[in-house]
Parts: sequence; C-alpha cells; structure tokens
Amino acid sequence: MAPKSDDKPVELMAETETKKKDGKNGTKDGNKKRKDGKKKKNDSGDVIDDANAMSEEDKQLKERLETCVSTLINESNEVAVTPAIRLKAIDVIVSELRSATSSMTSVPKPLKFLRPKYDALKGYYGSIAGDAGVDGDREMVYLRARLGDVLAVLAMTLGKHEERESLKFKLQGTKDYHLLMTLGDDASQDDLGSWGHEFVRSLAGEIGQEYNARVVSGADPEKDGPFEDLLAMVDVIVPFNIAHNSEAEAVDLLIEVQRLKKILDLDSIDEKNYRRVCMYLIKTADFMSDPDDYAEVLESAYELFVKQSQYFDALRVALRLGNEDAIPSLFSLCSEDKLMRKQMCLLLARQRINYVVEDDDDGSAEELNELIGNEKLSEEFLKVAQDLDVMDPKTPEDIYKSHLAETGGFSRRRDAGNAGVDSARANLASTYVNAFVNAGFGQDKLMTPDNEWLYKNKDHGMMAAAASLGLIQLWNVEEGLAQIDKFLYSSEEYVKAGAALAVGILSSGVRNDADPTVALLDEHINGDSHIMKCAACTGLGIAYAGSAREDVMELLLPIVEQESAGPATMLEVSLAGLALGMIFVGKCDDAAGGAIVQRLMEASDEELDHSHAKFLCIGLGLLFLGKMEKAEAMIEALKTIEHKISKFAAIVLETFAYAGSGNVLRVQEMLHQCAEHLEEDAAHQMAAVIGIGLITMGEPVGAEMALRSFEHLLHYCELPVKRAVPLALGVLNISNPEFSVIDQLSRMSHDPDTEISQNAILVMGLTSAGTNNSRVAGLLRQLSEFYSKEAGHVFCVRIAQAMLHMGKGLMTLNPMHSDRMITSGPALGGVITLIYSCLDLKSTLLDKTHYLLYYLTCAMNPRMLITVNEDLSWRPVTVRVGQAVDTVGQAGKPKTITGFQTHTTPVLISAKERAELGTEEVLSVSSVLEGIIILKDNPDYETPESNDK
Amino acid sequence: MGNMPPGMGGDAPGENANPNSKGDGKGGDDDKKKKKRFEPRPRTTGNRRKRRTVPTSKCKLRMMKLERIKDFLLMEQEFIRNHEVFKPREERDQEEREKLEELRGSPMGVGTLEELIDDNHAIVSSSMGPEYYVNILSSVNQDLLEPGSSVLLHNKTMSVVGILEDDADPMVSVMKVEKAPLESYADIGGLEDQIQEIKEAVELPLAHPELYEDIGIKPPKGVILYGVPGTGKTLLAKAVANHTSATFLRVVGSELIQKYLGDGPKLVRELFRVADDLSPTIVFIDEIDAVGSKRYDSSSGGTREIQRTMLELLNQLDGFDERGDVKVIMATNKIESLDPALIRPGRIDRKIEFPMPDAKTKRHIFNIHTSKMTLGEDVDLEKFIMSKEEFSGADIKAICTEAGMLALRERRMKVVQEDFVKAKEKALYRKKGNIPEGLYL
Repeated sequence: MAPKSDDKPVELMAETETKKKDGKNGTKDGNKKRKDGKKKKNDSGDVIDDANAMSEEDKQLKERLETCVSTLINESNEVAVTPAIRLKAIDVIVSELRSATSSMTSVPKPLKFLRPKYDALKGYYGSIAGDAGVDGDREMVYLRARLGDVLAVLAMTLGKHEERESLKFKLQGTKDYHLLMTLGDDASQDDLGSWGHEFVRSLAGEIGQEYNARVVSGADPEKDGPFEDLLAMVDVIVPFNIAHNSEAEAVDLLIEVQRLKKILDLDSIDEKNYRRVCMYLIKTADFMSDPDDYAEVLESAYELFVKQSQYFDALRVALRLGNEDAIPSLFSLCSEDKLMRKQMCLLLARQRINYVVEDDDDGSAEELNELIGNEKLSEEFLKVAQDLDVMDPKTPEDIYKSHLAETGGFSRRRDAGNAGVDSARANLASTYVNAFVNAGFGQDKLMTPDNEWLYKNKDHGMMAAAASLGLIQLWNVEEGLAQIDKFLYSSEEYVKAGAALAVGILSSGVRNDADPTVALLDEHINGDSHIMKCAACTGLGIAYAGSAREDVMELLLPIVEQESAGPATMLEVSLAGLALGMIFVGKCDDAAGGAIVQRLMEASDEELDHSHAKFLCIGLGLLFLGKMEKAEAMIEALKTIEHKISKFAAIVLETFAYAGSGNVLRVQEMLHQCAEHLEEDAAHQMAAVIGIGLITMGEPVGAEMALRSFEHLLHYCELPVKRAVPLALGVLNISNPEFSVIDQLSRMSHDPDTEISQNAILVMGLTSAGTNNSRVAGLLRQLSEFYSKEAGHVFCVRIAQAMLHMGKGLMTLNPMHSDRMITSGPALGGVITLIYSCLDLKSTLLDKTHYLLYYLTCAMNPRMLITVNEDLSWRPVTVRVGQAVDTVGQAGKPKTITGFQTHTTPVLISAKERAELGTEEVLSVSSVLEGIIILKDNPDYETPESNDK
Repeated sequence: MGNMPPGMGGDAPGENANPNSKGDGKGGDDDKKKKKRFEPRPRTTGNRRKRRTVPTSKCKLRMMKLERIKDFLLMEQEFIRNHEVFKPREERDQEEREKLEELRGSPMGVGTLEELIDDNHAIVSSSMGPEYYVNILSSVNQDLLEPGSSVLLHNKTMSVVGILEDDADPMVSVMKVEKAPLESYADIGGLEDQIQEIKEAVELPLAHPELYEDIGIKPPKGVILYGVPGTGKTLLAKAVANHTSATFLRVVGSELIQKYLGDGPKLVRELFRVADDLSPTIVFIDEIDAVGSKRYDSSSGGTREIQRTMLELLNQLDGFDERGDVKVIMATNKIESLDPALIRPGRIDRKIEFPMPDAKTKRHIFNIHTSKMTLGEDVDLEKFIMSKEEFSGADIKAICTEAGMLALRERRMKVVQEDFVKAKEKALYRKKGNIPEGLYL
C-alpha cells in the first residue's frame, strides 16, 4: 500500500486489470512546478472533449454508458424498468470498466465517460442507501451492492481524497453483500482483486487512514470491535497482496492497522515467499521507533521462520532481539535435524553465548557444547592459515617496513641496531605489534623462541610481554597453558601478573572443561599484590566476556566493593567493574549493576576524580548494552551522584543502552549535549559524541547521516568534542576502511592538537583492523616518520599498525556478524573499552594501563568462510564473494552481491561483503555464509552431461 | 539529500588549512628526487551519483527510511541554528577567508594543471610558457583538480592556491531550453500512439521509475522519431519539452560537427556530462543523420571526424559508464541511412514511426489550424481531407496559412473555399518541386 496515496499515478497492467486513473496524473508530478495556467492547457490537451475528435467507437461507448446510467438511475420512475433490467445495466458498466485497458499515460475511456455521471450516481446511491424499504428486496439490495462497488472504483479518482469515499462505498457494498447472505442469496462476494491492483492499493491506503482516524476519535486499538468492517477488508486484501508478489504492501497494511500478528495465520505465506516477508520485516524493524513495535515486528519474523522450520534464521532473529530464552525451545524443535543444530551452535559460538545444550539420549550434546564453546576454533583457524600460507611468524619490523620510509636508511640503522638503546616505549609497542599480528598463530619471533625479549622490558612492559603470549596462543587453551605455566611461578611480580593476564586472554570466548582461568586466577584475585589483582580482574573480564558466569561474579564483587585506600585501589575497583560489565554484557544483571552503582554512590570525590573511575561507569553501561529502556531506572539512580562523573555516567549508560537502535530522539539528545561550549570538564560531551556513533551503528541510513553530523561537530564545537569525533567515526566503521572515512581520519591525524591526532591515528587502525589495507599501511608509515620525534604518537601509530595487520589479516574486530544482522555484545564491549580509553590516552594506554588493549581480544574473530561436511571435515567448494546489495522489498530475484569474484573455500570475507555458493552441487544449512558453514548434498542436483563420450 | 556535497568542505576551505604544510616543507625536496607511489584518488564529489534509497517501490520501509533522513537533517538544522546564535557563521567565515587570502597571496597567476604527481604536488604550466613542479595547498578541493583544469597560482612560489571552476562549455549551456516552447500535446493532431510511446519511454521513467522496477525491467534509454518530412517529429519533441519539468537539452546534429579535430566528440561528452549534472534530463538531437550516417572508408579527414563524433555518441548512449536519469530523443528523416550501431536496442530502445496522416488525423490537423481562423460559410474542409493527395502535417499548416494570406491580400476578413483551393495548389506545386507531373511515367 502506498503510504501516501494522494498521487495515485499509474499502474502497470495485469491481465484483467482495470485502468482507472486520471491520465494527467501520470505526468502531473513532473508538471507540478510549472505554472498553473499552462497546466490547464495541458489538461485540456489530454482529454479530448471535442466531439469531432471522437471516433465512432468512442461515441457508441459513450452512448451505451450513458443509457446504462440513466436506466440505472431511472429518474422518471418508469415501471418498465425493473430491477432486473437495471442489474443488466450495471453489469454492462462493470464489464466495460473492467475490460478497459489502455496505456499507462491516458485515461481509460469508460472512466472518462462516466466522470460526468459520478455525482448523479452518487446521489442515486444515497437515495437508496437510506431507504429501509430496499433492505427487504433481494434484487434491490444486490443492485445497491453492485452500485457500491462501481462507485468505489469511480471514487478512487473522482472522490475527494480526504473523505475516503472509495472506502466508504466499498464498506457499504460489503454490508449489502452480508445482508444478501442473510437473505439467503448465495450471490458471491465481489472479488476485490478483479478490480485490479491499483484499486486494492488505494483501498489499502484508505483503510490505514480510516483506522488512524478512528483511533484518534477514541476507538480502542486493542479491540477488534470498532474496526470489524475494516479488518474484514484487511483479511481479504492481505492474502491477495501476498499472492501477487506484493509482500511489502501486505506487511505495511498489517502494520498500519496494528494487526501484524495476523500474518502468522496466513496460508498464502509458503516456502516461496516467507523469506521475502521476513527480510522485509527485519529491515522494517530497524526503523520502528517504539520498542514494543520493534519487538513485535521481529517476533513476527521469528514465528514465521519457525513455522517454515528455518530454525537457523529464527535463531538469528532471536539473537537480534536479545531473546536468549528462545534458544532451548529452538533446539528442542529441531532435535531431528542434527546439522541444523550444529549450525546453530556455531552461530551461538560466534555470538559468544554461554549456552549449554541439555544432554539427550544419543550423546550428541557433548559435540554441540564443544561447538558452542569454540573449542575447535583454534584448530580451524590454523588450518585456514596453513591453507592461505601465512603461517610464518612476522616480526614487528615486517610490519613497520621502515625500509620503505623516506628516511629509511636512518631508521633502519636505528631499529636493527642492538636493542639496548631502544626506549622502553618502543619495545612495548613492538610487544603489542608482535602479539596482535601473530595472534592465534601459536608462534612468533619474539616471545616463543626464548625469554630474551621478556627481559628486555621493565615493569609494566614485562607484564605486557608476558601477556602477549596469551594472544599469540589465542583460543588454544591446552598448548598455551603449557607455555605460560612457567611464568606463572616467576619471581618477578610483573611477569607473574602478565602470565595471569595471558591465561585470561588465551581462553577468551573458549569454554574448557577444566576451566583453568578461574582456577588459576582465583588465588591472585584474592592475593595482596596490587598488580596481580589488576591483571586477574582484566584476565577474567576478557576470558569470560559475555558468559554471565555467577561464580566469576562472586570473585569480582568483593574487589568492587572493597574500601578505598588510595588511588591504587580505585584502579582495582574500576578494572573489576569493567570486567563485571564485560562478563554480564547486555544481561542487565541486578547484582552486578547494584554493586557498581553502590560503589559509585559511596565513592569519595578523590576516588571519582581518578582517571580510571570512568571505567566503572563503562562497566555499568555494558551491563545494559542494547537493552534500551531497561537502563532507565539505573540512569535515574546515577543522577543522584553529586560529582561531575554523574553526567558522564548517565550519558554512557543511555548511549550504551540504545547502541545500534538508531533511535533518532537519543541522537538529538546527544547533539544537544554537544551544544554547550565547554573547554573543561567535557567528558560527558565526549561520551555523547561517541554515543551518536554507538546509537547509529549497524543501520546504514543513520550511520551515513551521522557522518554528516560529525562534520558539523568538527566545524562548530570546542576541542573536547572534536577530540571525540575520530573515536565516533571509529565506532561506525570497525574493520571497514572506507575511503572517505580514512581520508577524513588522515586529515585529522595531522591536527595540531595532540589528542585529536592521536585518536585519529588509533582509529585509523581500528577502522582497518585485520584488513591489511595497503592505503592505510602507507598512511601509517608516513605518520610514523612525521611524528618520529614524539613518543606518544609513535606508540599510537605502532598500535594502529598492529591492528591493521591483526592476525595477519585473517581477523576482524567487527561486532556485527551474520550478514550485519546481529551485534555481538562482548565484541562491541571490547571495542568500546579501547575507544573510551582513548578519551584520556595520557593516563591509560600511554601510561601504565596499556594492557586495556588486550580487551580487543574479545572482539577478535576470524573473518574466514569455511565449508565443511556433515562431520565437520573440510569440503572446499566454489563460492562467489562480492559487495552486499540491499535487496529487501524489491521485485523479482535481484542479485544479492555485486562485483563478485569466485573463489574456493576457505576464503576471507570483509565487512560489507557477502558470499553465496558457486555450485548447485551442495546446499548450505545456514542461510548466511559466514564462519564455519555445514554443507549437505543437493538431492536435486544432476551432474551435467559431459561432452566427451 | 543525495546530491549535497559530503560535508561542508566546499564552504569553508580554510577550516583545515594547513594540516599537511609541515610535512610538505620537509618532504618537498625529497619528492623531486624520488618517484613517489601515487595512488589515484577516487573522486568523491565529482562523481555525484545520487544515493538511492532502496527499495524504490512505494512502501512503508521506504517512507521510514526517508523520514529517518529527514529527522537527521532537521537535527542538523537545529544544531546549526543553535551554534549560529553562539557565533554567527559569517563572522567565522570572514576570519577564515582572511586567513585563506593571506595564504593565497596576491596577485595570483593563472595556469593550467598538466599532471598530478601525488596528493600535494602537481606540474602546472603558466600562461607565460614554462612548466613548474609545485605544491598544492591543502585548502584546494582535491576532488575538483584534474589535468587540464585552470588553476590559480601563487605569485612567487607558484603553488596551486585555487581552482578556476569553468562551468559547462558555453556551447552546451546554450542548448538548454530555458523557456518551454508553447506547443503542447494538444497542438498535435492525431499521433496518439506516438505520443503514448514517447511518454512511456521518456517521461514516465523520469517521473515514476519505481513502476519499471516493480516489473523488473530497465526503462528505455532513448527513442528515435523517424518519418517523412513534416509529420511532426520536432513538434512532438517540443511538446515533450513543454510538458516536462526535467531539464531539456536540444541539439541539432550539425552543431556537433566542429571545426577542430576532437572538438565534436568533446562537445558530445560535455553535453552528456551537463545532462548528467542537471538530471533528470531529456536530450533531444534533431537531424541526427548529420552525424549518425553509416560508417564507410573515407580518406577525408572531415568525414572521419564526423564518424568519431558519432562513435563518442555511441559510447555516451550505451557505453561503459552508467547514465543516470538521462533520456535521449533523436529525430531523423532517413532512418535507413543511420549507422546500425546507433539505433541498436540498448542505445535506442524504441523506434517511433511518424506516418503520413490518415483522413481522421488530417481532419484533426485542419481543425487545429483553422480553429483560430474566421472561415467563410462555404468552406468545406472535407474536400481536402478526402482528396487523394498525400498531405503531411506541415503541408496542411502551409495550406491554412497560405489561404489566410490570400484572404489577407484581398482584404477579406474571412477565408473562403476558393482561398483554400488556391492555397492547396500552391502548396502542392511547391512540394512537387516544379517537376511536371507524369514526365517519367
């Protein structure tokens, strides 16, 4: 249904369709801007009134219609004109109207000729409609019903739009048909579709308006009573639309009359069109401003998928809704379909959901739990790496490529010379570069061969170096532990702390029966050493992000609640709060939330002034990530704090809660926050800017428009806001190095303000994370020279380079997956932690808490596509990979990707790319090709006959 | 929203005036010695493809998307309004402009950009002759820079400090129909089928592209009108121009033939570029046979140039680049002499024939032309309508005019039958070209 049906212009004809539209409308749009005088002239040009111009046929038709009309009205009340004859007359009119076809650009003739008679017919209808005497007469009622239909069609173009005459006549006609039914006439209800699509469309539009009008005038939208007649009409129109490939219109009408649930009862939705309906619903949900509507639309899609036994897709929708309660029922529904269950487990694993499949009889639960627990992830990742031949470890120098730099000769000498003269920070940078680049590969050139590198660092550098082992051995719990073990008992406090952190990093997102992280970190978290506590908290946060484990909370709560004894404890408290947030990300957990809020309220001003107190707020915010209005109570509670941090915390909480929702009102609120011109104490403004990015992420229209808003912020606002703009750009483009964004960041990376440039540099790394993008690599190399004298900048450049080449280009940080439909909470949390530590680089990454960088581990995921057999052994097939195209709501079967290339799996998929199978030999269990995909043979496949005999 | 330039860089180029300048100072010398890797920049504003909101069919999803865009624009407006109060834009702009003026220095020279070396350097040739390797100031909009464009140069350092944006070729701007012609569809006698076809092929795709999308076809790109002289091809094109609110560019084929080598194809390119910029656009090329005749081997440079012009036209009609909302109407008397490549489907999807009018149409045309004339009682137009001679629309108009002139000569206020008879003879005599009838029988 056209939302605005005031210009019902033209229709394309189907076989029996009637054209009934004013020809001048066809081009009216184009003509609107013209002067009125001219328009009049054109009108007369189209409608050939001149009797001379009329052909014989036309004259006959006109006469015939006129006779019919006068017979019908029977003004002189001749007795000879019986209702039967009048019925004949109306039959003629109906058949003329229906059979008329003409071009899209001119008026069907019968309609043109009936136009002057419209008022007469209307008047006549009015006279018999009020006449109670007619009600008893069957023939007259039938006549009235038919006339109602005709008038409805005529009113579509001739009636006044705001009066909704068309619908009025149609409703009265319907009433008459009912009356006929009670009179015992089996005259069938007039078929709506026979009047053509345009009529149905116009009617649907009027129903929507009528519905709204009735609601406004006081009818209760919950009850069916006041809308009975309308809903009866809807029940006819919706199946008609679905049967005629206009699923979108059907859905629109149901949304309009707030009866979306009816779509579940439709029989006409079958395996051919359910996907189109569901895709449309899912896409529409993005734009629903009311959370209830949003949930209802997605739930409808969920139910439809379940009805069509598409449990994988149903699971995707459930995850999108954040409805984890649906998982058990989905698993029980497809208990027969082992492959489907496996595929669903793989999706849960990517989403890092800590779900345990209940044991059933055939013992498959263990395998499924293994899949959810990501236990095989390392194995598969390494196999891909071998297949792509990138196993060789890379040194930091391989990444810096300083020989390509213009001052190459000089820097080479400096880097390659003995390491003794290297500054601590350069070494630290190398540690991180080494860790991120070789992440998950299990081998590198600094840490694994011997301990030499470790002892080239000092204090916190040592800690980072030891922890980097965890990243190198990422996901490979068994082997990694064996390597880390020796450091756990080191005499160096920092090495020990690093090892503890490494244990956490290592098992990020991986479930292991032995659960070594808790076992090993337990003692440290309760120990006395400050640094050990910090490491243990962070380690737990990384290892159990998103798992919502109660026992881990038990460990962390005492740390959060502990009494303060100086800035060191506040650091512990903050890190523990952050870890809690990561573990219960998006779970709205009361115990965790209560503890953090309590701590914030009780904290002294000095404590809240601590540079890391913000992370406590972020931890709190993460608890409500994406949960919208559930965070409201908490926001109110935060407002009672009498410290400037309360503003910051409230905004963090609000933006986190609406992350990915695209909610325009929240964006507006954040823009208002930025309107003030503050030079100091503007942390809340920075949070607001980042918040705009968070709110609009995931939905292309909003994201694009947000970019425009950022331009204005840069233009008008004070430094603090400007500093946050690159960060917000980063949130919008994680692992997606779009040309224009990189361009903008590159400009900001030369800003005279240190913080803007540092943020821009780091975000360049974030936007290109895991892509090996050569343009960004070049830019970063240039930057490393440009800032060669400024240690802070160089460190940022190095970290950016580390992210750019993360996992040698096999990984992504993008929290959106499964065709950009689902956002992974832990992954987004990891990125957010990095972004917020950029708010105050001097005291976080550039100071002692650089290990916060390891939170990125939670966001790291292989961006591979592997196809496997039913037993999860590899099965290489050809796939096409190309830019994803939005095809929702389009006619026919448009291509879903463009500019594709054909590869054989395994392949890498970038952000905004999509893959489809290149062969018909196999079918995939999942509807989206990402990650590990199970294939089964296509039963309908026929091997093409070979030409050689 | 789509055709707004991304961001507001164009308005305030001083905003990020010298982020690179430090780097340039150091790197400038090195650049000369070393060949730098030059990554070509994809154009961001030059390629002003409108962002399309999908789906294009009318549905709630589309409405909500558009509303979302509107909401954001409203917020931007609000935001800017708030800030304008704080510090009016003009003041800031003034400051920035002054800064920029300082950087630019004066007086400025004008040169031609010969080659872009990298983001910050280029080779320019000044009007005096010598070529220079110079800096490009970062305040210059990179997207508008392209080899061949005129640039402003600093008087001492010769750095590029601005671009002289040359508007469209003046040749092309003349082609734009500013004042719609007075002829409307009503002034066309008959030709109902032709009108319908041209509306479907040209007007409807511009006004309602979603209809074509719904069915899943690409709308036609262009039509060719052909038929014997005087059957109303140009008239119909005028009516289209009168009726549409799209930009209407009209060209005569012979205009595309230029004096200098390469100018013709350039004009064609320019024409279509302007058409694309001003889209939706209808381009009407009259007498296309002037450039579009069949190719043949020829040693004459002139012929080859004309053929090259046609080849450019072929490319513009259906070449590598997607044309947006540009529709082409061509008209010719001699469709058989046109190059088959020009009128193949895909370039010209519809060929609309204009036949000689039949009796009914003739009557209509007579009515149109005589409706404003004072006719005598005795005038019987049927006689002419039914006569066996072939009249085209133009002939009928000529007859009517001639008859009026005759009446005028005799100072009558009425046109009588006799005038028409004489007028007809005169008109037909002219048409037969003075060749005695039956000579070659």
